[in-house]
Formats: sequence, structure tokens, C-alpha cells
Amino acid sequence: MSEEIYQKLAQAVIDGELEDAEALAKQALELGLEPLDCINKGLTKGIQRVGELFADGECYLPELVLSAEAMKVALNVLEPAMLGGKQRETVGKVVLGTVQGDLHQIGKNLVGSMLIANGFHVIDIGVDTPTSEFIKAIKENDATIVGASALLTTTMMEQKKLIDAIEEAGLREQVKVMVGGAPVNQDYAEQIGADGYAEDAVSAVNLAFRLVDAPK
Amino acid sequence: MIKLQEHKASIQPIESKLKISILEDEEIRQINQSTRTVLEEVGVVFPSEKALNIFAEVGANVDFNNQVVKIPAHLLDKYLATSPRTYTMAGRRPDLDVNIGNGEGTYYYCSGEAPKIVDFNTGERRLSVKQDIANHARIADYLPIISLLWPTVSASDKGVTSPLHGLEACFNNTEKHVETESVMDQISARYSVEMAIAIAGSEENLRDRPILSQLLCCIAPLAQDRGGIEAAMVFTEYGIPVGLMSMPTLGLTAPPYPAGALTLAMAETLSGIMLTQIINPGVGNYISVNPGIVDPRTGSYFMGSGVAQITNVAAVQMAHSNGIPVLACHSFGGSQYKLGNWQAGYENFYSHFLAVMAGADMSFGPSGMYEAVSLLDHPRILFDREILRVIDDVTNGIEVNPKTLSFDMIKQIGQTGSYICHKETAKAYRSIWPWESILYEDGAAEGRKWRDPVEVARETISWILENHKPESLPEDVKQEVRKIVAAADKDEDLKKEVRGHK
Repeated sequence: MSEEIYQKLAQAVIDGELEDAEALAKQALELGLEPLDCINKGLTKGIQRVGELFADGECYLPELVLSAEAMKVALNVLEPAMLGGKQRETVGKVVLGTVQGDLHQIGKNLVGSMLIANGFHVIDIGVDTPTSEFIKAIKENDATIVGASALLTTTMMEQKKLIDAIEEAGLREQVKVMVGGAPVNQDYAEQIGADGYAEDAVSAVNLAFRLVDAPK
Repeated sequence: MIKLQEHKASIQPIESKLKISILEDEEIRQINQSTRTVLEEVGVVFPSEKALNIFAEVGANVDFNNQVVKIPAHLLDKYLATSPRTYTMAGRRPDLDVNIGNGEGTYYYCSGEAPKIVDFNTGERRLSVKQDIANHARIADYLPIISLLWPTVSASDKGVTSPLHGLEACFNNTEKHVETESVMDQISARYSVEMAIAIAGSEENLRDRPILSQLLCCIAPLAQDRGGIEAAMVFTEYGIPVGLMSMPTLGLTAPPYPAGALTLAMAETLSGIMLTQIINPGVGNYISVNPGIVDPRTGSYFMGSGVAQITNVAAVQMAHSNGIPVLACHSFGGSQYKLGNWQAGYENFYSHFLAVMAGADMSFGPSGMYEAVSLLDHPRILFDREILRVIDDVTNGIEVNPKTLSFDMIKQIGQTGSYICHKETAKAYRSIWPWESILYEDGAAEGRKWRDPVEVARETISWILENHKPESLPEDVKQEVRKIVAAADKDEDLKKEVRGHK
């Protein structure tokens, strides 16, 4: 029975079926299955398959985003039920946000979905986010990567402020910083002391893997 | 390269004899109907207390908590009726006026507000600065195909007042009509109006001949920007034309189907236009719909797709069916960077060809942009110009009348003769040979040889920057404009307004 549920969870993620994923997660808990097993043997398997299909060009971004959403709703059911401080295995924990004064969210959201589909735990702290919120999220989640998006020439300096604040908070050793957005480029990223720059969602994932030194 | 000569600024719209329709009348009716249903039942977010009050006062259904305005169709149509189909976006001289809707053809913008530039001297990609705006405005002033312009890049060296410095750089380097799309708060809007009044000579002159306009970009789906809409309300007050642009990204910020994306785009733009007409009935407006699509393999924003272009051109019919002028075409910037690449060439050709034939009042034209309008390279503007040169020629179509049927000539020359020495041929060649190419002609009959157009473009840009001297503002006006921008730089309220802008 448990194997069947794991497989169905994986399939719900592959198919991007949010309602099925949520219902199956609830069913799994009712049946007394271990939440962590449901995640590792079900959801993660499914999202890994989606990642492979995407890399092969057999799955497009809208399908991948739906799969990531299906994974999220199932995690929302399963994670609170995990006992004894157990945590699911992820490639890394990424705090993602658009900097203060900037309301652009599309690029950030796409990067978030892509990272989820590639096994990262993403903590999305939204748009127009003050530096203090980034710092708080890094500390609370013990993050390994911070992704800061800025789409305006008037807000890109916030990325530098964030890096300075991370230094000040003594977190620079703990987190790698990646930056993105239309006015940003590799030179600028280096100039402000970021660890990397990505020009689109796919490059952001590759960069994240490099930053956590994990094989893709 | 043809021999360039210094000349005063002039403008040259393109009129097309060839016409196309993307949508049939019934399809237009359905999209208009659907747009009105969306406005009545779903509504648009206007995150400005002032705007919400104005809508409420005229009887729109306003949800102040969620800042959503729902507009009954009869109310929308009442206010759209005062938005003019014809009006003038003035240049500093009457012969530089853009007379929208008067049948002179499609006028071309030099647009952009890109954050980056390819440095003309070093070839390095870098953030753009105020001087880059000044240089590109001078190039645009020289080229007649450009009728009106934006600051084409951001003045990243000027911080939050970058939009005002951009306007100053334009006013100092062109006599053509200037438009802003980056003034996105009411305080900066007031400084912009002050600058325009200083240049026009008086508020009355400015109302009579608006030398400045605003393009306001809506937030898809179905929302307006607080700062932007409040800036638009200021411009409207002074009779400054306000264009509304929707940028639906198919399948991301809009439905994946062009009809649905057009419905959304019309709802966004028409709701904004209604607001301006409540404030100042008769103020000039236009609609621009610039769809994009996401590359489903990388997540990159992509402007150059066929589906986005056809949606853009269909918007010409949609705007005109509502009695509103239209600014079409968003290419000249869709391709990845490589000066003179073939992809940029074909994308730009077909998108502009369609827009001209659809009867767009204005179109984003030669700008020098790459990579979804995020990168400027000065010489690219000349490649864009070449494309419009060909379009201008082709869209003249074929004239058929007794003279062009040429029966007398045919009879006179008879069999096996030549038409080259006929007087009519000599006369006709003056008009059938297309206007001069800058990039592919060296001007000298003898020793004519092909040269790399990239090299020729660079020489041309150097020549323009060195030799073209736009008619400058009178010194006292220039100083007045400088003072206004300097005051804005020191304005703490402006900084707060821009930074707190949500």
C-alpha cells in the first residue's frame, strides 16, 4: 500500500495535479505513513523526473511550474506532520526575494519553481523586501543560498546593501549570494561581492548547484 | 557610406498603400465585448486613493479595501468618447509636429530606457549614464525617420532622479517631441511639467502644443502602478498626452491565447484612459499592446515570437475600434546581441511591415536596441533605419493609372528598343529608386565596392556625433531646466515618494 501511495504522489507531481497531490498527502498521513518517506520516495522522485524531462526538452516551463506547485501543496501537508525535528533532504536551502523598492516578481518566481524542481528548498520572502527580512529569513531557515532580484537601476544598489548587511550579521560564511535582474550583469555581481549572477531561470539553477558544490 | 550632410532636424512618417486586417469585424466585436465584461465583473486594481475617489465620484463600482475598480460598460464608453482620435504631439517647431490620426502615416519612435549600453569606444557592456542619453538623442535628432523619442537608456549615474536627467538630456539634444516612460511618481511628474513649461514658454503654450508626453505601463494582469498612475494624473491635468501600454506575457501574466491577452490588454489600457478623460476630457491618449512570451525551455522573456507580433498588430484594430490612436510594434530589440545579425533583421522586418500595413499611428522604430530592449548599441539604429527604408518602399504598392500603364511609351519604343533613354524613365527613376541607404552605398560611382555595414555604421555614428549640432535651447531656458533638475536632486520628498512607491 505504501509503495502505491509513494508512486501516486510522484505521479501527481509529474502530472502537476495539485488537488491529487494534496489529497494523496492527506491520505498518506491517515494511513499512518511516515511523512519523510512520502517526501523522499514520492514527491522528490516525481520532481526529479520532471527536472530530467525539462532538461531533455520534453517538458516545458508551465508544466514544470505546475509540478513545483503540486510538490509545494503536498509538502504543506506533510512537513508539519514530521516529528522529532526531522527534515527532508534537499540540495540546499535558498532564501529568495526581490529587493526593497522593487515590485517585480515574475523572474524571481520562475527561479523559485526551477530551484524546487531541482531539489532545493526555497523560502520565497516576496517582493519589496527590506534587507532585515532577508537576514531574518537566512537565520530562521539556516539558509545556504540567498537569491536577490532587482529589475530597476534604482534598486540594484539594494543588492549591495544586502551583501553588506549579511557581512555585518556575520552570515557571509554561511550563505552564498546570487543576484539577477535586467540591469545586473556578471561584472556588477563581482563588483558588489556577490558569489554569482544568472541571466535566466535555467542559469540560476546551474549557478545554485555550483554554489553549494553539488553535482547537477 | 553615402556622403552625410549636416541638416536641421526633420521627421518622416511612413504611409502605406498596402493594408492588412488581422481580425474580422465580428472578432473585434467579441474582444470588445469580453473586455467590457472583464471591466464590469473582474475590474482593475488602481492602488491610489485619489484615483479610486475619482472613479467612485463618476459612478464606477469601487472596492476601496482591495483597491479594485469595476466599470460598467456604459460608463467606460461615455468617457472613451472624449478621447480624441486626432491630436498633436508637438515638436519644438511646427514642422516637427506629430499629427496623430491625420493620415500622414506611421510615425516612428526612438524608444528604449534600457539599463545597459555597448560602450561605443571600448565595446564593453556597461550600465548606461546620462551622457549616453544625450548622444543617442543627438543621433535620433539627425535621422528623419525618427519623429519622437524617449530617453533611450537610464541615467544610472543619477539615482532616483534618473528619469528627470533623461528628459533634460533629451531636451538639450533634440527639437523633436520627447516622451517619458520612467517618470513614475507624482513629484517627478510635477518637475517634468515644470521643465516642459520652461521650454514651451508658458503653461498655456504647453497646453496648446504639448512638447512632452507620457507612456504609462500597466501591470499585467489587470493592475496599475500607484506612482505611475498618479504621475499620469498630473500630466493629464496639464493637457499632456498620456499613452497606456499593456505588456501581457502570454501564459505568464496573461492567458496563453492572443484573444484573451488582447482582452486583458484592452481592459488595462482603457481603464487608465477613462481615468485621464474624467480628469481632463479631450486630453490625448494612445494604446500600445506589447505582448511577450516566455521561452518555455529557459524562462527568458522573449519578444520576437510570431504569436506576440501578430497580437501586437491585432491591437491596432482593437484600439481603432475604440476610437483611440495606437502605438504599435515592439521589436527592434527582440534578438540576442550581435550587431547586424540575421535574426534581428527578419524579426524587425516582419513586425514593422505588419504594423505599417495595419495602419498604426505610431510605432517603436529605430532605437538601436537588443535583448528585449535591455541593451543599446548606437550603430544598430542605422540597421533599423535600413529596414524601414525598404518597408517605406514596398508599402508604396503599385500605382495604376494611364500614365503608369505607359501605353504611349510602349507604342513609341515598340519592339526590341530600350526605355533607358526615354524622358519618362529619367523622371520616374527619381521616385522608384528607394531613398538612400547609409550602410550599403558608398556614393561614388567609380570603384564602388561592398564594405562591411558594421564598419560603415560605426563611421556614420562617429560622423553624426562629431558633426550634428541640434538647435539648442536658449541659454536662459537651458539654465532654468538645469535649475529644476538640480532642485529635484535635492528634494527629499521625491526620494521618499520614489522609494516608498508600492
